[in-house]
Amino acid sequence: MGRIVGIDLGTTNSLVAVLTDDGPRVLADPATGERLLPSAVTFFPNGEVVVGTRARELAGERPFDTILSVKRFMGLGPEHATDEDRRRYRFDEAKGGVVRFLAGGRSVTPPEVSAHVLRELRRRAEAALGEPVTQAVITVPAYFNDSQRQATKDAGRLAGLEVLRLVNEPTAASLAYGLDKGAEGVIAVYDLGGGTFDISILRLHAGIFEVLATNGDTRLGGDDLDARLAALLLEDVPANDRDRPDVRARVLAAAERAKRELSARERVDVAVEGGDRRSIARAEFEALVRDLVERTGEPVRRALKDAGVTPGDVREVVAVGGSTRVPLVRRTMETLFGRPPLVDIDPDEVVALGAGIQAGILSGRRGDMLLLDVVPLSLGIETMGGVFSRLIDRNTTIPASVKETFTTAVDDQTSVDVHVLQGERELASDNRSLARFKIPIAPMPAGLPRIEVTFLVDANGILSVTAADLRTGTERSVEVKPSYGLNDVEIERMLEESIDLAEEDVRQRQLREARVEAEIILRATRDSLRTHADAAVPGEAERIRDAMAALEAAHATEDYVAIRDAVEALNRQTEPFARRIMDRALTEALGQRRLEEL
Amino acid sequence: MEADSRQGECWRCGAEVRDALVCPGCQAVQPLPADLDYFRALGLPRRLAVDLADLERRYLDASRALHPDRFQTASPREQELSLAASALVNRARRTLRSSVARGRYWLELQGDRLGEDSKRVPPAIAAEVFETQEKLEELRAARPGPAAEALRHEVRTLHDGLADRLRAKTDELETRYAAWNGDGDLVELKRRLSEIAYLTTLLGDLEAALGGEETRGTDRRH
Repeated sequence: MGRIVGIDLGTTNSLVAVLTDDGPRVLADPATGERLLPSAVTFFPNGEVVVGTRARELAGERPFDTILSVKRFMGLGPEHATDEDRRRYRFDEAKGGVVRFLAGGRSVTPPEVSAHVLRELRRRAEAALGEPVTQAVITVPAYFNDSQRQATKDAGRLAGLEVLRLVNEPTAASLAYGLDKGAEGVIAVYDLGGGTFDISILRLHAGIFEVLATNGDTRLGGDDLDARLAALLLEDVPANDRDRPDVRARVLAAAERAKRELSARERVDVAVEGGDRRSIARAEFEALVRDLVERTGEPVRRALKDAGVTPGDVREVVAVGGSTRVPLVRRTMETLFGRPPLVDIDPDEVVALGAGIQAGILSGRRGDMLLLDVVPLSLGIETMGGVFSRLIDRNTTIPASVKETFTTAVDDQTSVDVHVLQGERELASDNRSLARFKIPIAPMPAGLPRIEVTFLVDANGILSVTAADLRTGTERSVEVKPSYGLNDVEIERMLEESIDLAEEDVRQRQLREARVEAEIILRATRDSLRTHADAAVPGEAERIRDAMAALEAAHATEDYVAIRDAVEALNRQTEPFARRIMDRALTEALGQRRLEEL
Repeated sequence: MEADSRQGECWRCGAEVRDALVCPGCQAVQPLPADLDYFRALGLPRRLAVDLADLERRYLDASRALHPDRFQTASPREQELSLAASALVNRARRTLRSSVARGRYWLELQGDRLGEDSKRVPPAIAAEVFETQEKLEELRAARPGPAAEALRHEVRTLHDGLADRLRAKTDELETRYAAWNGDGDLVELKRRLSEIAYLTTLLGDLEAALGGEETRGTDRRH
């Protein structure tokens, strides 16, 4: 069995780490030395997929084909996409259920996009460790609901990884901090990442990391700060360019850079396309984003209340996520907890390091440590009158299980519909729908059947449901249809496709592409020779025909390198000829214009 | 989950396990006995009064031995047993550490429930509940202005007073449990729990009426 890796699948960047004898270590790409992999994926129309730094750079050029911050869409339905999302991306609205991007002429779901990031991390880990990697711990925001967790697990599966555990990001970070501190007492982890905000309150005792309460906002992060700054910068862009997605993507990238520079400097100059350089002071930036940063206060207060502690009880506050580098965020943390945050470990790496430790715990290497985490949001079902009836309260330690008995309202019912939801609101319709299922029952007069439904939340925070008809004593496995997820059939199909893609020899694809290229150049050359025969110098047409014959011969073989070489040779032969044709066409065009002008 | 039968022997090594959730011999997690109550699950005496520090200690020890993280490389059967057993000790601890939840669970163990008759407002607090609800109605109907502000202030005072009293009643519960030192007086237990349930709902109504801003103020005060 290979080593279990720990993966921080972030909104902006992703990392992979392992636990070594010297503690957790982030694995860098051996080829480039890069530790952070930008969570960016570009889908080209020819089927090519690019992941990471180059994909992020491509966002300005190929905005629709480049998916950034895909984590924001995990486990969501198309109706959750905002207007800004719709300006930025193209969505495939034909099918319901889960969000689908139209990128590179394909329809892809968020788990598929994330799987490309995971596959690249897996490749890096395998290259760095020199052994195959098949098992992983992946981190998720603590406040992720069941659909979002399931989507993350699906992404792992699509990337060929067995996801042994989903770990909450702030909890993972606490492992990394607790490890070298041997800490005891209550700590708070404030995690403001690229797209999500989490606050977790933990109690540490003798190697056990117990989450007391967690809260957060899965749609609040550094991306929102960038968007505010980008909106300001867009004002300088000529009005008719403002809605161009490529312009927006470039302005957003400039805003992100400026935000980061403003953490170290009081003032930065930003070049905006089509406009002048603009100078932005830190105070101006802070005024733009203050309300966003202050929005973290409410979840912090709720988490403290649920944990039954006051800010004074908190011994340490840990800063996690790149956005905690922003001075305003640090000051806000200090105000909320009355003490400056701990920033000893790189906030970009601390979650991955914790994931690496958890991987070590699962492989039995750290029997002295244990994580006890909680359900972030209450789980329950819809009962009579559209009321949300809670079965498992938020902040219940996982694994958690509960049994509830139901009956029927109508005579001779042959099935009972169960609607599973997650959230804190009173009305079912105000909470997030997770699944609907039918329990088949033996027909009886109303009120007589007794159906026992069991909710079980595993250590990943993922819910499963079983039901038993107590009158007949038959236990039935319930087929849960996820409201915003992929079902098993879809995952199987995607897996087959991705295996096809991996198994299709790279050589085969290269060959196909080389042949297509050869066919294009052969056809174009043949046409040119026919229509512009007079542009050739003596002997040139023969040399070109020879090169064409050589290419045709190569085309018939399976050797894509030979085809490419022959394409190049033909290109070299036709270049002067093509230039002459071009010159002639230009002269003609100019000549005509002169005539017109006369 | 499968309903395993237990004969007090470890399913894996045959050692005697009795009530233990983990085999003392081979550390294998055992199937849950059908009649296992929360007290026994944590090895506590079946009494209303619980030593909370002891409860925590036993819970953490059980978690160390049972948690699914410990069985990641074990067989599917062991993983399933670990999941079921740790879900049970989590539920047991959550129930027993709260004096109110423990009291309710105690009633259930005696085959009783805080059900139907708790729909009737307990006489001792009926007047208070009624007056508070009326005040809330007034506040909801009030147009913004100085009068509404005064009402808000009144409601806020009611809220703070009620929160303090509820805490006192809950603390008192623990004292009663210790004094009973056994099965206790079920009728009195039910009356007290029913009062607390009512006052808790009422406090929730007051909090909702005061809105987020006021509730935040309360949090800071705690």
